[in-house]
Amino acid sequence: MKQIKKISFWFLVMFLLILICMPGIWIFVSAFRPNPEILAKPANWIPDRWTIHQFTQMFSINGYVSVPAFKYLMNSVIISSVSTVIAITIGMMGGYAFARFNFKGKNKIFLGLMLARAVPGISLSLPLFILFAKIGIINTSFGVILVYVAMNVPFTIWLTDGFFRQIPKEMSEVARTDGCTRLQAFWNVELPLAGPGIGAAAIFAFLLSWNEYALASIITRTVHSKTLPIGMMDYLDEFTINWAGMCAIAVVMIVPAVILTFIVQKHLVSGLTFGGVKG
Amino acid sequence: MANVELKNLTKKYGDVIAVQNMDLFIPHNEFLVLVGPSGCGKSTTLRMIAGLEEITGGEIFIDDQLVNEKDPKDRNVSMVFQNYALYPHMTVEENLGFSLKIAKVDKKEIEERVKEAVQILGLQELQKRKPSQLSGGQRQRVAMGRAIVRRPDAFLFDEPLSNLDAKLRTQMRTEIKKLHQKLQTTIVYVTHDQVEAMTLADRIIIMKDGYIEQIGSPIDVFNNPVNVFVATFIGSPPMNILTANIIKKDAKLFFELDENILMPCPESKFDYLSKKENVIIGIRPEDITPTISSNSSENIWNFEKNIDLVEPLGTETQIFIKLNNKEIISRMYNQREIKIGQKIEFSINLNKIHIFDKDTEKVIK
Repeated sequence: MKQIKKISFWFLVMFLLILICMPGIWIFVSAFRPNPEILAKPANWIPDRWTIHQFTQMFSINGYVSVPAFKYLMNSVIISSVSTVIAITIGMMGGYAFARFNFKGKNKIFLGLMLARAVPGISLSLPLFILFAKIGIINTSFGVILVYVAMNVPFTIWLTDGFFRQIPKEMSEVARTDGCTRLQAFWNVELPLAGPGIGAAAIFAFLLSWNEYALASIITRTVHSKTLPIGMMDYLDEFTINWAGMCAIAVVMIVPAVILTFIVQKHLVSGLTFGGVKG
Repeated sequence: MANVELKNLTKKYGDVIAVQNMDLFIPHNEFLVLVGPSGCGKSTTLRMIAGLEEITGGEIFIDDQLVNEKDPKDRNVSMVFQNYALYPHMTVEENLGFSLKIAKVDKKEIEERVKEAVQILGLQELQKRKPSQLSGGQRQRVAMGRAIVRRPDAFLFDEPLSNLDAKLRTQMRTEIKKLHQKLQTTIVYVTHDQVEAMTLADRIIIMKDGYIEQIGSPIDVFNNPVNVFVATFIGSPPMNILTANIIKKDAKLFFELDENILMPCPESKFDYLSKKENVIIGIRPEDITPTISSNSSENIWNFEKNIDLVEPLGTETQIFIKLNNKEIISRMYNQREIKIGQKIEFSINLNKIHIFDKDTEKVIK
């Protein structure tokens, strides 16, 4: 009886897992097979023929370029990394200030930052388009970075504020009586302790930029600034959709993000602060 | 090697006064303890000396130099916090050497000074450990080590023993006292524990609501409290306090401790007391003891009372009685058999009673 219970439990888990992972698996499988097979009815679950045709075309390995995926990848990497670094730098300082200092209107400003996030990004697309077109930063990486920084800073402030609050005030005080300036105390003591939190904030900011579609679709126009999610639309022709190509570029998008999350995840384990202060 | 001087020091948080017009001179090498209930301004005072709290008014001098505008890092004082505040991402060694590393002292000297501190505090085995791998007492020791390594002009301790268990607290208390003798440096020590204050201090400052109530040596403060607050704050169990009417009888004055219990007033205070209707009487538990035949002398006055409760503690027995409806504790140092409800005779040493004004609560001299 116990055995049956156990087995049925695992079957349930398997079933749910397959259900959840299905779209992902479908994308991966479809990226490696020809288009007709994807459209086959009834569905062909296991490909008859595996091919990396879409990838070789995308990265113009055999001289023919379907979609300039490499350029899009580079755009994505540059835009996401730069906007993350800037957002984290600003957000971290903001979070520290909110956690450590008292100033006039502190709570109202904090609330304002949160409210800024409540505005749906897409509603800003038209004003942004007109504004960026007028000042001439439409279709530039700079423009996209600017938007992503603005999107990420409030969230980063909110997250890092929480992490800095967890570090006892005495940490910086003792560092300051130990001969540190406020900045040295921050750099040598508080920043290392907030490390996991800042890492978490960074990965959130990076993924948000990496995956963002709505705004990028408005303010990027050409290969010059298009990111991977926008590049995916290149496979959309007037009469046909190259599903295999789309799946392939989706894989190019997913893999780096997953790898990055795995690497950073190790550092996200907090509990580092335990021991310095009796809890 | 430095003295610390506070002149007219004031701290306000909005309208709330934390410390009011505090004047204090702490000579070099003194072990000064600030004691008082929570919220009395003792920690604020300490933090102002360290430079962690901005001052509202007044001046602070360390080593005869005005430090009002100086950053904590330039004041050359070391602070030990209640929660230790060790750097969790550094080993014990790195924790100890951190201040020197920041000051860009060369590596060899850092090593030597860390080694010296390690030896003073007996941390040899723990050098490579992280704070999370240390016990409370060990962490406390490292926190003190970190302060020693800097060779500061003054040490500031902010309730350093409050997080330790009772046994360890006693042990560390002794260590701090030994450390002071070894280092010969000025120490300002904040605590709410009067036992710590008594045992450690060269001089005690008792604070309340931002004001200094009394300054003096532990014994002086214990024997001659200037008001009811100090009298009850110092000493454990606290001094018995009761309000007594003054009664004139046969041209003599008596305190009415209870119905039909009249304690004679000391003659030296007749003039003052004859104008008063009632006063506050303070008697330490050790000055009101069950009568033993040998303690009859001129200044001893006896009365009889029923016992409410008895608490034997081994070295002493605490006896609870009621006078004027207030619970009074008496301490007995011999192991005599006493039963609850029994009526026995108590002796009070009249030289040792404290008399306070009913309105001002100040001592009547």
